[in-house]
Amino acid sequence: MKPIVPKKHEPVRIGYYICHCGTNIAAMVDVEAVAKYVATLPNVAVSRHYKYMCSDPGQELIQQDIREHRLNRIVVEACSPLLHEHTFRKATEAAGLNPFYCQMVNTREHNSWVHTDRAEATRKAMALAHAAIERVPHHKSLEVKKVPINPDVLIVGGGIAGIHAALTLANAGKMVYLVEREPTIGGHMAKFDKTYPTLDCAMCVLSPKMAAVGSHPNIHLWTYSEVAKVDGYVGNFQVTVRRKPRYIVEDLCTGCQECVAACVFKEPKFPDEFNLGLGKRKPVFLPFAQAIPPIVMIDPEVCLNFKRGKNPDGTHTVSDKCKKTCVQACGDRKAIDFKQTEETKNITVGTIVMATGFKIFDARRTPFFGYGIYPNVYNALEVERLINASGPTEGEIVLRNGQRPKKVAIVHCVGSRDENTNRWCSRVCCLYSLKLAHLIKEHTDAEVYNFYIDMRTPGKGMEEFYNRVAEEGMHLIRGKVADVYPDPNDGATGRVVVQAEDTLTNKILKIPVDMVVLSVGLEPHPEADNLRRLFNLSCSSEGWFLERHVKLAPVSTFTDGIFLAGCCQGPKDIPDSVAQAGAAAAEAMALIDKGHIEQEPNTAYILADECSGCKSCIPLCPYSAISFDESRQKAIINEALCKGCGTCVAACPSGSIVQNLFEDDEIFSEIEGLLAPVPA
Amino acid sequence: MVATREPAVVDRTTTLETLLQTPAGKRMMTCIQCGTCGGTCPYGDTMDFSPRLVINMLRGGFMDEVIKSESLLQCVACYACMAKCPRGIRLTDVLLPLVKEQVLVTHTPMPAEFQKSLENMNRYGNPMGESPRKRAAWTATAGVKIPIMAELKREVDVLWFVECYTSFYARGQDNSRATARLFNALGVDFAILGNEEKCAGECGQLTWESGLFESLAEYNMKVFNKYKFRRLVTGDAHAYNAFHFRYPMFGLTQPAEHTTQFLARHLDRLKPMLKKPLDLTVTYHDACCLGRATGSYDEGRALLQAIPGVKLVEMVHNRVNSLCCGGGGGGMWLDTYYKQKGMDRLSDRRVKEAIATGADVLAVACPYEISRFEDALKVVPHTKPIVVRDVVELLAESLA
Ligand SMILES: Cc1cc2nc3c(=O)[nH]c(=O)nc-3n(C[C@H](O)[C@H](O)[C@H](O)COP(=O)(O)OP(=O)(O)OC[C@H]3O[C@@H](n4cnc5c(N)ncnc54)[C@H](O)[C@@H]3O)c2cc1C
Ligand code: SF4
Ligand code: SF4
Repeated sequence: MKPIVPKKHEPVRIGYYICHCGTNIAAMVDVEAVAKYVATLPNVAVSRHYKYMCSDPGQELIQQDIREHRLNRIVVEACSPLLHEHTFRKATEAAGLNPFYCQMVNTREHNSWVHTDRAEATRKAMALAHAAIERVPHHKSLEVKKVPINPDVLIVGGGIAGIHAALTLANAGKMVYLVEREPTIGGHMAKFDKTYPTLDCAMCVLSPKMAAVGSHPNIHLWTYSEVAKVDGYVGNFQVTVRRKPRYIVEDLCTGCQECVAACVFKEPKFPDEFNLGLGKRKPVFLPFAQAIPPIVMIDPEVCLNFKRGKNPDGTHTVSDKCKKTCVQACGDRKAIDFKQTEETKNITVGTIVMATGFKIFDARRTPFFGYGIYPNVYNALEVERLINASGPTEGEIVLRNGQRPKKVAIVHCVGSRDENTNRWCSRVCCLYSLKLAHLIKEHTDAEVYNFYIDMRTPGKGMEEFYNRVAEEGMHLIRGKVADVYPDPNDGATGRVVVQAEDTLTNKILKIPVDMVVLSVGLEPHPEADNLRRLFNLSCSSEGWFLERHVKLAPVSTFTDGIFLAGCCQGPKDIPDSVAQAGAAAAEAMALIDKGHIEQEPNTAYILADECSGCKSCIPLCPYSAISFDESRQKAIINEALCKGCGTCVAACPSGSIVQNLFEDDEIFSEIEGLLAPVPA
Repeated sequence: MVATREPAVVDRTTTLETLLQTPAGKRMMTCIQCGTCGGTCPYGDTMDFSPRLVINMLRGGFMDEVIKSESLLQCVACYACMAKCPRGIRLTDVLLPLVKEQVLVTHTPMPAEFQKSLENMNRYGNPMGESPRKRAAWTATAGVKIPIMAELKREVDVLWFVECYTSFYARGQDNSRATARLFNALGVDFAILGNEEKCAGECGQLTWESGLFESLAEYNMKVFNKYKFRRLVTGDAHAYNAFHFRYPMFGLTQPAEHTTQFLARHLDRLKPMLKKPLDLTVTYHDACCLGRATGSYDEGRALLQAIPGVKLVEMVHNRVNSLCCGGGGGGMWLDTYYKQKGMDRLSDRRVKEAIATGADVLAVACPYEISRFEDALKVVPHTKPIVVRDVVELLAESLA
């Protein structure tokens, strides 16, 4: 149906509705009195109150009145427009009126929920109603524009969350660009041996997914890469990706590792990043056995064929000093390229999924646990590597001196629940501590002591897992470790004493142990703030990316078209990360499959006759929507880019920028209505 | 790192009954009973009621039981619990003193040595019962002129609050003489109060002998108000603590500094004067009232490292994790009582760690520690000689 546009000079006839919202509004606002009052205001043809305006009968009421009373403006005083503006605009449109003739007044969040004096709240409801009644006659018929959406998706971060989102989208036929900062995908999960609560082997479930990403025809996998620039808006983001040189031609390397064997360094000598420095690698290396892409890389910091140190611009210079036995070994494959430089890729995508994960807490920040001071104090991720069969000790849990620990203390809540470090509960540590307790006992038969504050095991199968581990005979001590220091009775084995109050027996325990495992918490990446700016996202005060609504839009962000998955949004376990990744993929798909983006018509436009061409507005627009027409010497706003923030409108010195739905006469009449006297 | 506590005004009228309604008390409602406090407390294993348990008893309304026990007399006000508490609960300077005061009221007689010191403070203005008229006697041996406020009759930049041990005890006076030489070398415009000065009363506060503390603080404030000075500097870490946290409640508006902080601020000028090499390995003991109480860990170390020839080594427990000498919270006068209870002396524990570093010198920044550690060294066996020196003594020695 073509919307009815009221003819010029046709008298304005407003329908006004105030909603009870059950008792949410009616308990604090005398809705009947408000409706009676509004009936006396100019141009008001119908004024009603109703229990649930958003219900079907409520919407039907509006439509019926439009037809019967020939209404041409609608005002609904109810909850937040964030929730129901869409509902009432739709109802208005269904009755044949342009939806932008409908105006909402928020009397719940802005009034009934926040006040305690019913008479005053009722007067406020009247004033708010009056403001809308004055404003709405100035409304114009507006049109929702549709812009096509680019169907390709960018995923930033290739941990389990990014991997799952990428595969879901790629399997649905979407083209995915997966950008991972490290030389391999897999994230933290690739470092674990087993995962709670089922104790299934982490790589057994992860490596097929990693391999699928590596070979998927719909996935462009760019590892060792970072996003450098993001422009544009939902449906049409322009993204620049920097691909750092790994000195290996990706398409030519077969992953045979003959170069590694042939390297002039006979033995691995340099700390191996994937094993957190617990193992060694050569200058040319495969990040780890199941790395995807399964190709090697060269570390120019230690390779003899490069000059020592970085150039000021971060690049490395070839010295050509090495015999290059690696190149000989590679032979005709010719995959080694010492001259490789950074590559820049420009892509356009319609939607983006952020899956950049977390960083573990640096236990050096709480020095009394002895991390970085006593060699037998480890963080949990290091211990994951020690337990892992593909780790530096091939799954043998041994101390730095090669001995098996006989007594092990696991310290929960390191860098969590603590105002001196991070205030939040990291959610996964209690359970991974139980997992590590089980694995350490299984591998070494050591006595294991878990020191916890509260044992937090929510989630399916988790309490059962706790029960199972407890039955295996762990010492579960309710008390946080307060001090770790060398055992005074120890010769040189590096044994330390762990001191804590057992809060259930009121005893101070001083337990000598061979190994301490610090269950470090999860925290946002230090670079999260850069990413936030790059992608125009919001962060919580702790630095996690902020979801649009904690309950109802948990994977959306405040930037349309950008979604969140996994631990970059907050600490969570693998099942929850995967669930969120699926949700983020579905949200992206919902946009893509619709084929277009609907644009709110609250955009700004320039009155060309009045524009003086001063260009003040151009640098102010946060969305770069304003350009300058040199031939006409006038600024122009790209409607597709404008988000209706109003910055330029306020800044234009000649007042020649107008914004739909926020025109001067709309705003001034609204203020007049608001300030008009209301009955006592 | 661990939060350092800002000087915050705690209501002087707060009692155990009203505590939970105050902002500090509301924090106590957030205690998660993790036991970090009890686990780190140097006397945690001999207390019937660990700090953690005290909080839960307070919340449950069972304080009578806590007060019946003498357990809290073992708190040496070392701030260890408070510095590590994950909820930022003010144990050392708010909760525990309130409990302690009730314990002292309930258990009469108080331990004799302790009672005597409080009486001395009340009667003579110093815990050792020395004549107040001899307070400034040490200045005759200072080697430099020590201006006295009452005689100077003008504004000074620094009012140097000398304090008791540093006025009366021979080893304390070493500290004062060294400070005087350093001030002189730096050309500091300073004066002292002389015989007008009385104990700042800090331990009165931390044992929450509140009446005694208030009368001393009110007395000293009256004297301060007679004179004009821009800052208050003291070599006594406990007095510094009182000036920093408590005296503002009594109207002190000038900033207070510990000598190590003051000297570290002037290190640029001081360093070129430190010409005489000392060739010593030194380990530094963090005074609780400087380190954990106010986050002042670096100043003492920076001063030591400025001395040519000094090699700084650390004890196992250092900085936030430092071990208390056992002199705070009245512990200075409870040694006999602790011994009767079969508790080991914290100063013994501490010097064992110092000895283990192999250092020649155990450097301190609080006058209590000189006597406590020197006593401990008499009983703790060691082969290599080690001496206790205040940071200022070492600095003065290095002045050419
Ligand atoms: C010691 C330990 C043990 C654990 N054990 C278990 C367990 O047994 N079971 C369980 O369910 N959970 C466990 N967890 C939790 C689990 O690690 C997380 O749930 C999971 O790793 C989250 O996945 P993610 O993809 O969100 O983040 P991550 O695994 O952190 O992956 C993020 C990826 O993004 C990349 N990245 C970061 N920044 C950028 C950038 N700017 N550009 C491009 N790429 C970037 C990273 O390199 C990384 O590959 C454990 C956690 C720890 C610390
Ligand atoms: S350390 Fe703090 S939170 Fe923990 S039990 Fe003690 S007072 Fe409570
Ligand atoms: S201040 Fe020191 S002695 Fe007192 S309870 Fe706390 S840790 Fe123990």
